[in-house]
Amino acid sequence: MMDLQIVFPALIFLPAFVGFVGCVFPRIIFPLGVLSLLGFAASSFFALQGDFAFAFTLVGEGGIQFSVDSYATPLIFGSSITLLIVFGLFANRFTHYFYQICLVLLTALFISFSAVDLVSLFISLELLGFCAFLLVADRNDKKSLFNSFQYLIGGGLAMLIYLIGVVQAFTFTGSFLLEDLVNAPDTALCLIIAGLLTKSGVFLCGLWVPNIYSHANCQSSAILSGCVTCAGIAPIARMSQILTPISDSMIVIGVISAVVAAIYAVFERESGRALGWSSVSQLGIAILSPSYGCIYAMQHGICKALLFSTLHDDNDHPGSLSKHDSNYLNNRNSPKELLRVIVFIVASLSIMGFPFLAGFTTKTWIKYDLPFEAKLIYTTASLLTSTVYARLIFDRINVFIKRQNSSQSNSFDFAVTLNDLFSKPKNYILILSTAFLVCSSFLFPELLTIGSIQSAVVSAILGGILFVSVVGIQADDFVKPVTRTLDLVGAPFLVAALLLANLLYLKI
Amino acid sequence: MELTPEKIRLFPIVLLMIIGCFGLLNSKSILRSLLSLDLIDTATITIFVFIAGSSGFQTPIVSAQRYSSYSDPYPQAIILTAIVIGFATQALLCSVALRLGRKSPMLRYRDLEK
Repeated sequence: MMDLQIVFPALIFLPAFVGFVGCVFPRIIFPLGVLSLLGFAASSFFALQGDFAFAFTLVGEGGIQFSVDSYATPLIFGSSITLLIVFGLFANRFTHYFYQICLVLLTALFISFSAVDLVSLFISLELLGFCAFLLVADRNDKKSLFNSFQYLIGGGLAMLIYLIGVVQAFTFTGSFLLEDLVNAPDTALCLIIAGLLTKSGVFLCGLWVPNIYSHANCQSSAILSGCVTCAGIAPIARMSQILTPISDSMIVIGVISAVVAAIYAVFERESGRALGWSSVSQLGIAILSPSYGCIYAMQHGICKALLFSTLHDDNDHPGSLSKHDSNYLNNRNSPKELLRVIVFIVASLSIMGFPFLAGFTTKTWIKYDLPFEAKLIYTTASLLTSTVYARLIFDRINVFIKRQNSSQSNSFDFAVTLNDLFSKPKNYILILSTAFLVCSSFLFPELLTIGSIQSAVVSAILGGILFVSVVGIQADDFVKPVTRTLDLVGAPFLVAALLLANLLYLKI
Repeated sequence: MELTPEKIRLFPIVLLMIIGCFGLLNSKSILRSLLSLDLIDTATITIFVFIAGSSGFQTPIVSAQRYSSYSDPYPQAIILTAIVIGFATQALLCSVALRLGRKSPMLRYRDLEK
């Protein structure tokens, strides 16, 4: 019997170790990384099934405390799966540095999911910020460099605000543990929460999200939306579980974020940016409920990773193929493209909360966990989400059909199609993840009641109708992309001030 | 709320922090943002050190000669990490500024935010 006290820290630091070893031996990093990711995904899946919880302390008495529990396991599972999807789908595009960054990122994520003291959280979030910076700057042109600069300066400021909150809490409680924050003053709580919200990209602090997602490489945006923004969710959920004023304010912030960001997404014309706004809105929903928020964030992360991976055609990346080649590939790859479109639609439907998909389960959980006052606004937000995704699906199918018409592949041979589909591992990954999304809804058959299925279908249909009614509105003046650094940097201050006002005077 | 010497000691630091925030929100070029961020960083670290010293400023090393007022070593140990991280952030930001400066040497936000 091995000592779990030693096994868990070793497991947490395994990805970073693999990453740095892979920097020296570039050839082995891909198989090792995929193996360890598979291991993490499988073990966290079983831990998720069995409600596993284990707390341990590093370096004996008075050391650093970690807790792998029901907040951490779904997020660990989600981020491993997201990285697996990205590794598999874009395998031919990367140098080994990319894998190294991803694996170090995974360690930072594990620490931030399982840490229960504020200082380890600070360090892991900073490490996460550096890795995300490298991912954003991966494209290496002027705009993405400037975006990453904005991200780093905004994130650095947010973490300094967080640190000031931590030191104020320390003067009152004498320790850095999350559970001791009960005795901390309100100002300290506000500063800490503002820092965490900026990192997780909830509305007002999360203004950086749409800019970066729309301009970064699609693999980077998949990782950013699938893993990086989840890092703030676990500590926020832990805090709102023990602190009633925080959980009340989180409902206000989450509802505002869900609705306003969804409205922005509806009127946004560019698909990548619309996905970014919808990500902000979904994370706003995830912070509403401390007990189911992590699972919701996991489902949203996996779906968003799939969406970003299949948002563009496979042959879209410039400079790799000559025109003749790409024409040839277009003719040949039409079943593959069809598969990508199908995966895009299934992932969108899952985020919309369509029945018999993973999103339906998590949405129903959150819905029954909310207080009555928030339910109405939550329903509005999910309706707006349906509208956004109806538009995205429509656009994606449009692009696909146009391309089909231009390439004119007349002869349709079923055997060749099947052969084509099963010749590449990429397609297996896509099919498997779709099957996973479908199957996971049947794990909890008690949620599939007539009433909830009815409401989900009605909301999806209403979303479609709403989309048809607003499709003509060209709202370029209404939605201007927020690119000014001042707005991005000033948002955490504003949120901290609003939170303080809420805690002291409004008491919503 | 009474004003103890510990709190009065924090006033200049808070002033420094306000200057840094003001600079960050009003800067017109990247380099000034960097300097302002560094100012806030320094102010945060100094607050940590002062709070660690609220019980006294003697070095917390046990030796034959005992002092009466030791400073708290815990926040000081913690803040070392934050110093290193702040330095790393500054280095990364400076390298990005260097790259951005090739295209637009003035490094003004007005040119870069187009």
